[in-house]
Amino acid sequence: MSGRETRASGAVASEVVAPEGVASEVVASGAASSGAAGSGPAAPPTRRLPRRLPRRLRAAAAVALTVALLAAGGLLLAHARHLTAGDAAGNRALTDTAATDRVTVEVSDALHRVFSYGPDTLERTERDAETLLTGPAAADYAELFPRVEQEVGAQELTLTTHTVRAGVTELTADRARLLVFLDQTARRAGHEPTTTAAQLTVEAELRDGRWRITDLTPR
Amino acid sequence: MRAAAGPPRRTVLLRTALAAALVFCAVAGWLDWRARADEDLAHARARDTALADGRRHIARLHTLESRSVRDGLDGWLDATAGPLRAELERTRGESGAVLEQEGTTARGTVTDAALTALDTRAGTARVLATVRVRLTPRDGEPTTDRKRCEATLTRTADGWKLTQVTTVPVGAA
Repeated sequence: MSGRETRASGAVASEVVAPEGVASEVVASGAASSGAAGSGPAAPPTRRLPRRLPRRLRAAAAVALTVALLAAGGLLLAHARHLTAGDAAGNRALTDTAATDRVTVEVSDALHRVFSYGPDTLERTERDAETLLTGPAAADYAELFPRVEQEVGAQELTLTTHTVRAGVTELTADRARLLVFLDQTARRAGHEPTTTAAQLTVEAELRDGRWRITDLTPR
Repeated sequence: MRAAAGPPRRTVLLRTALAAALVFCAVAGWLDWRARADEDLAHARARDTALADGRRHIARLHTLESRSVRDGLDGWLDATAGPLRAELERTRGESGAVLEQEGTTARGTVTDAALTALDTRAGTARVLATVRVRLTPRDGEPTTDRKRCEATLTRTADGWKLTQVTTVPVGAA
């Protein structure tokens, strides 16, 4: 692109040369006539030449400036686009602190309710799961739940889950992705309680004013 | 002759082109200035940079090739700053000898990571990461270990560096 512009500048410059040939004739004749008229012979050439020469330079400079401006504008535009069009701009994790806190609290609460159960609370847990889980997470949970029921009944198992740490990696108006560290304490009749660590990547979506978990991936 | 007929067509064209280029450059400059001045955008970029650097450094700190322990330890120093770096520098000689003698190769992969705090003014951040470490002893079967870490990052002239890395223990509430 700049190559084409450079050629154009050459063309313009040579175009400007032609009138100069005419000008030098005019200057010569002017000098002759003014010499005949008796006025200062040096005056007209000094007035004319600077006017002719800058004109040629002006054209070349104008072309160069146009090219430079186009190039600079292009670079600025590319840079601005690079800044605004990236993933960074669309992701509100930590930039929108209120929304980040809210999704963290709601997802932590959902995980606590869905993965905490005991002989007396199984029904409530299943009911909560129906509203707090959706999509693949709901399907996986439904598949898992009969086994949970059996275990709870047979071992008098009580499981309590709580979030130890949570961080939001992606957040848009209605989608979120978090990394959550969980501790799960299991109490079985006749046994000491045991606590185990669990780490999950959680995908959630905001629907009907509440964040619901759509996917869970163990890490 | 041409001068008498007013400015040549080429001159008019040139002036128009120059004016258009000027307007284009001004608009582009304004758009770029607006993007640069956007604090949310700057914050978002810092967040992504800190997370990417944190991920890379945490993986590095869980990796050590038994055949090039010294290089690995140099990598650890490069990934860290402040008290953690000082600690690693202090124990470098000793750990190098022990690790070379053990001959275990560790390869750490960060399976997921998230920032939990970011202060761009202070240049500090806090990151969570889950790490899968594959340990290959000199003789014996490789094993895989999973860890959950919390780390603090500090911004340096050479990017974000780790100043503290801890394992989040069970029951840490």
